[in-house]
Amino acid sequence: MQLPVLNEAPTKSGCAASSCGSTENQIDVLPDAIREKVQNHPCYSEDAHHYFARMHVAVAPACNIQCHYCNRKYDCANESRPGVVSELLTPDQAVKKTMAVAATIPQMTVLGIAGPGDPLANPERTFETFRRLSEEAPDIKLCVSTNGLALPDAVEELSKHNIDHVTITINCVDPEIGAKIYPWIFWNNRRIKGKKAAKILIEQQQKGLEMLIAKGILVKVNSVMIPGVNDQHLAEVSRVVKSKGAFLHNVMPLIAEAEHGTFYGVMGQRGPTHDELQDLQDACSGDMNMMRHCRQCRADAVGLLGEDRGDEFTLDKIETMEIDYQAAMEKRKVIHQAIQEEMDSKRLAKAANSAAHADEPKLKTRPVLMAVATSGQGVINVHFGHAKEFLIYEASPDGVRFISHRKADQYCGGDSTCGDGESTLQLTIRALAGCEAVLCSKVGYEPWEMLETAGIMPNGEHAMEPIEEAVMAVYKEMAAAGKLQESAQGIRASA
Amino acid sequence: MAVKIIESCVNCFACQPVCPSQAIYEAKPHFLVDSKKCTECEGAFAEYQCASICPIEGAILNSLGEAINPPGSLTGIPPEKMAEAMAELQSH
Repeated sequence: MQLPVLNEAPTKSGCAASSCGSTENQIDVLPDAIREKVQNHPCYSEDAHHYFARMHVAVAPACNIQCHYCNRKYDCANESRPGVVSELLTPDQAVKKTMAVAATIPQMTVLGIAGPGDPLANPERTFETFRRLSEEAPDIKLCVSTNGLALPDAVEELSKHNIDHVTITINCVDPEIGAKIYPWIFWNNRRIKGKKAAKILIEQQQKGLEMLIAKGILVKVNSVMIPGVNDQHLAEVSRVVKSKGAFLHNVMPLIAEAEHGTFYGVMGQRGPTHDELQDLQDACSGDMNMMRHCRQCRADAVGLLGEDRGDEFTLDKIETMEIDYQAAMEKRKVIHQAIQEEMDSKRLAKAANSAAHADEPKLKTRPVLMAVATSGQGVINVHFGHAKEFLIYEASPDGVRFISHRKADQYCGGDSTCGDGESTLQLTIRALAGCEAVLCSKVGYEPWEMLETAGIMPNGEHAMEPIEEAVMAVYKEMAAAGKLQESAQGIRASA
Repeated sequence: MAVKIIESCVNCFACQPVCPSQAIYEAKPHFLVDSKKCTECEGAFAEYQCASICPIEGAILNSLGEAINPPGSLTGIPPEKMAEAMAELQSH
């Protein structure tokens, strides 16, 4: 039997994706006009993120609010979090860097401005960059990410620069909760604190959201899940933003460590476990498309999601690069077309395959989480020991769905002396808690044994195969071996 | 009569455009205040504009040399808690 690939949890009514033929991919449920806009956007389309790359330029240092998960002092080369950058760029440098990256990495389709402060609190630098890129590199999609405080005043200008995607970070719609997340905002020439500040911020975010939708600009909403603060509240946020027309909701886990020096880090606020995050994403997905492949990247990240090639494009390196953008654009067009064709043909093959097997008896086995090592193209192509991150898929009788990614070595890539002495291998195995198999191109002898001991079956038999097909093949092997008979209870090891 | 930006400044640019007297300028290793131009916002605003948007506690001093935003006032982290966390990290 062949099972369809799902990206949303099957609904409780039992309408599995195969029977209503609706969702093969998360973006397939979107209206055609929106799908057209996002199909090559790695951040908005789970499918596209295996093929297309993005970059951020750090032109916006100032911020007009403080969030308890952010510390403006922090800059560590090993750090990978939103709001962290190594090198601030002027608009002119940002344009040069973007064109250098676009010529070198033709899969790069999207340029975003996301900080390190708030792009709209730096309107001149942000809009100068957008204006020049719309003129000089018209084949690059532009997008911007904001806390929303200055958004209503910026909507008119945003609509002029052909920016069809905006991300607003909305962590709450209730000022009581907001006061626990935002200690202050700068508003009308004053620093305002507490509930009053949160109320203004929330009003501005909602107003900005409505204005963008009225202009026909796509809006994605980001929310940071903070256990005990807004975790119970985010389903409500999801409902509200969806009713106003946001097309995608991205619930991200709080990142908080004491060494970041943030309020949450120092005060010992914990982030959510993998299971808590997944449960909340599942709860919200009834209301809205959820995005599960977000990598919470730095405000100066370059490359495919999950990789960062920023080092190849530092200021001194781009100064020496000679870019013929007209020629680069020709090349980019050809490559984008080829990728699109590959994606389309894979999608058709998948549909044909599931149709061909549609009438086979359905398994009655429990779902299983599996980890996959990939560097893109939708295939299993990374050696276990080289994986910087794993994509987590759930296989069940309803099909295979993408759940999340997990970093192999957590948020720090520093040397082994920083941390509490656990080896990278131990950390990686801990990050895979709850998974019952790990699929990679190859697994060494030492990790093989440790994985088996940890109850995670290593599998190197599906190298270079498409991810979903391989996951389903392993699932069927497990079913045939009688490993999936127990009830669904207790299968999730706590992470 | 002027405020002063000191070395804990992180160069985030936030203060520069809000200064009503154009007294703040980009410099190395951090932003500076032209003491001849700074009016401490007198007659223009009730509060120092630069210190009202600055995210870093202690980075801007008043004319008496005191931090306009003392430790804990912006982040909400009690200074003793911060000291405790930092000591804990140092000991590793």
